[in-house]
Amino acid sequence: MSTQYDAIIIGAGIIGAPIAYELSKMGYKTLTADARPDAGEGSTAGSCAIVRAHYSTEDGVAFAYEGFKYWLDWENYLDHVEDEKGLAKYMNTGSILIKSQGHKWQNVQKHYDAVGVQYEEWDNDKILEKVPVLDLHEFWPPKRPEDPSFFDEPTNMLDGGLFCPEGGYVNDPALSAHNIMRAAEAKGAKFIFNAEVTDVRSADGKVQGITLADGTQFDAPVVVNCAGPHSYKINQMAEGVWDGCNIKTKALRHEVMYCPAPEDYDYYNDGYHQSDGDIACYVRPEVGNMFLIGSEDPECDPQEWVDPDEFYAGRGGHGRDNQLTEEQWKAQCYRLARRVPNLQVPNQPKGVCDLYDCSDDWIPVYDKSDLPGFYMACGTSGNQYKNAPVVGSMMAELIDAVEKGLDHDKEPFQFTMKYTGRTLDMGFYSRKREINYDSSFSVNG
Amino acid sequence: MKIYVCVKHVPDSAATVTVKGETDIEEAITFLMNPYDEHAVTEAHRLKSIFPDAEVIVVSVAKAAGENTLRSALAMGADRGILVTTDDRLDPIMTSRALQTAITQDGRPDIILTGKESIDTEGMQTMFRLAHLLEMPAATNVVSIEPQDGAVLISCEKEAGALEKLKLIMPCILAAGKGLNTPRYPTFPDIVKARKKEIKQITLAELSLPEPDSTVELVHLAPIVEKREPQELAGSAAEIAEKIVQVLKQEARVI
Repeated sequence: MSTQYDAIIIGAGIIGAPIAYELSKMGYKTLTADARPDAGEGSTAGSCAIVRAHYSTEDGVAFAYEGFKYWLDWENYLDHVEDEKGLAKYMNTGSILIKSQGHKWQNVQKHYDAVGVQYEEWDNDKILEKVPVLDLHEFWPPKRPEDPSFFDEPTNMLDGGLFCPEGGYVNDPALSAHNIMRAAEAKGAKFIFNAEVTDVRSADGKVQGITLADGTQFDAPVVVNCAGPHSYKINQMAEGVWDGCNIKTKALRHEVMYCPAPEDYDYYNDGYHQSDGDIACYVRPEVGNMFLIGSEDPECDPQEWVDPDEFYAGRGGHGRDNQLTEEQWKAQCYRLARRVPNLQVPNQPKGVCDLYDCSDDWIPVYDKSDLPGFYMACGTSGNQYKNAPVVGSMMAELIDAVEKGLDHDKEPFQFTMKYTGRTLDMGFYSRKREINYDSSFSVNG
Repeated sequence: MKIYVCVKHVPDSAATVTVKGETDIEEAITFLMNPYDEHAVTEAHRLKSIFPDAEVIVVSVAKAAGENTLRSALAMGADRGILVTTDDRLDPIMTSRALQTAITQDGRPDIILTGKESIDTEGMQTMFRLAHLLEMPAATNVVSIEPQDGAVLISCEKEAGALEKLKLIMPCILAAGKGLNTPRYPTFPDIVKARKKEIKQITLAELSLPEPDSTVELVHLAPIVEKREPQELAGSAAEIAEKIVQVLKQEARVI
């Protein structure tokens, strides 16, 4: 196996695989190294794989909407590659954003209009016609069941929502990364697994390559950090990179629950993805007629920043390891149970406990670094899965432009989106930016 | 009619259980109602729909945290609870004595339901010891219950896959198997109601139980380390299929 490449990508998840794919299409000889046994087996596998357009900034909305087009046209995006595991499926359920104090939905609507996102305004009657199991009282603000006021009777009603028909989710996020890997391989990309990176080497102020735990070295003038929750560790291995970032990343623990839908409601076939800031939950259908219940990170919930190696090894103890906790199970399920009063809440927690690669402002870092040749696609903060194919294209173009001499820090690369035709100033994702206070500072991005 | 349901507060089977010292486990993990007991509680709720005057009382012998499990049972439809609190680890002799005394001090049972076993100690003896103490008939792995006048017609699943039909005169003890029903989990209104239901707490000492002549003592607890020895099957698809069949027949012995 060759040890010399044009670009090395660290991480074969849903961010790394598309970058490898796009660079390969541009003629780069790429190697993608991943510590796990296969593509998408890291935190990608724990993603809820929601595809929605509501973000807190107009660029965020535009970027996500661009991503829709890839998921809606998945086989074409993959150039009709065959994957022995089959293809991931885009479940185009449509997406409801409940109008609530928990979301700046007025901004979202403004951004939808500016970007041209297809949407409908639904009043409460329309929402109940589509989702008859809901109680549309306002429960704001989100609380924990340990707080007696959690059980207070609500008095006010919500005021409808915004429905985006193109939204939905991908049924198997790990498989989607695997699909992209196969597509990349068809363009010449190489992938290696069980390959833990222990060093990012540099010489003469330029990146040189990577060293694996077994001592194997691979060289390339370009190295891209797509290591997900491990991204901060990789950045710390690369000379000058960590200190050169104004926006840092770290690993945040989060839990997602599976709770059976009410008996008489076929949520799996009739349900929608729904973002509900009023109860700080987002939901989508899951196999087995389950509600998949994610949390929108309300202030009353604990935030646990953990070491990803300790976490994945099951260490750290209650509330810090990779096990669901009874407290959070009750918090998330009971919150949804207020919205869906006939939801049956089992005694045994079931779901997924994984990590976000979280940035300081919950907006990713898609950028070069202070070490020439070293790039970052990290800090995805639990809200970038849907954007991944666009990230692949954007990062590949950025890398190519910078390698050809662009001073991206002085004149940020302008990325033109293929489908919406909009131009995105990549300075938005700069490592040097100040914290973006327009952000939701949550998984909503 | 009084239906008592004995429930146990056990570690979640999905939790990572860590042994602490010689005989303890790290308890900062999720504890919940023994899954077989969920079937017992659900059945009690169903029987209540047949006998509207029935009262369902859940009983547990546990540390104070066992209240959570009783609260879950109340949310699943039980009317009230009795918690016998103790920090000691009781053997099945003492547990059955505690249950017997707590139940008989409370009222006269017509049916006592339990799970067929607990997923932590898997002793499978408490319900029989309780039946002996109360001089009641008992049946285990019950998968159907049909009340008749003063009796119950039941089916029990036997190990060989056979179904045994029995008639038990009430009062009796029935230990629920998985096939009995699908657990009825609480909705939000159920959870709200359960918060206000009564749980009577008694300490084990208050029951003044006689010391048994002999006891079971846990002397050492060790995790079972699962050994996996993967082997790669090579050859054509037909050859691999043939080898898989051999493994399933000769090693796993499932076909």
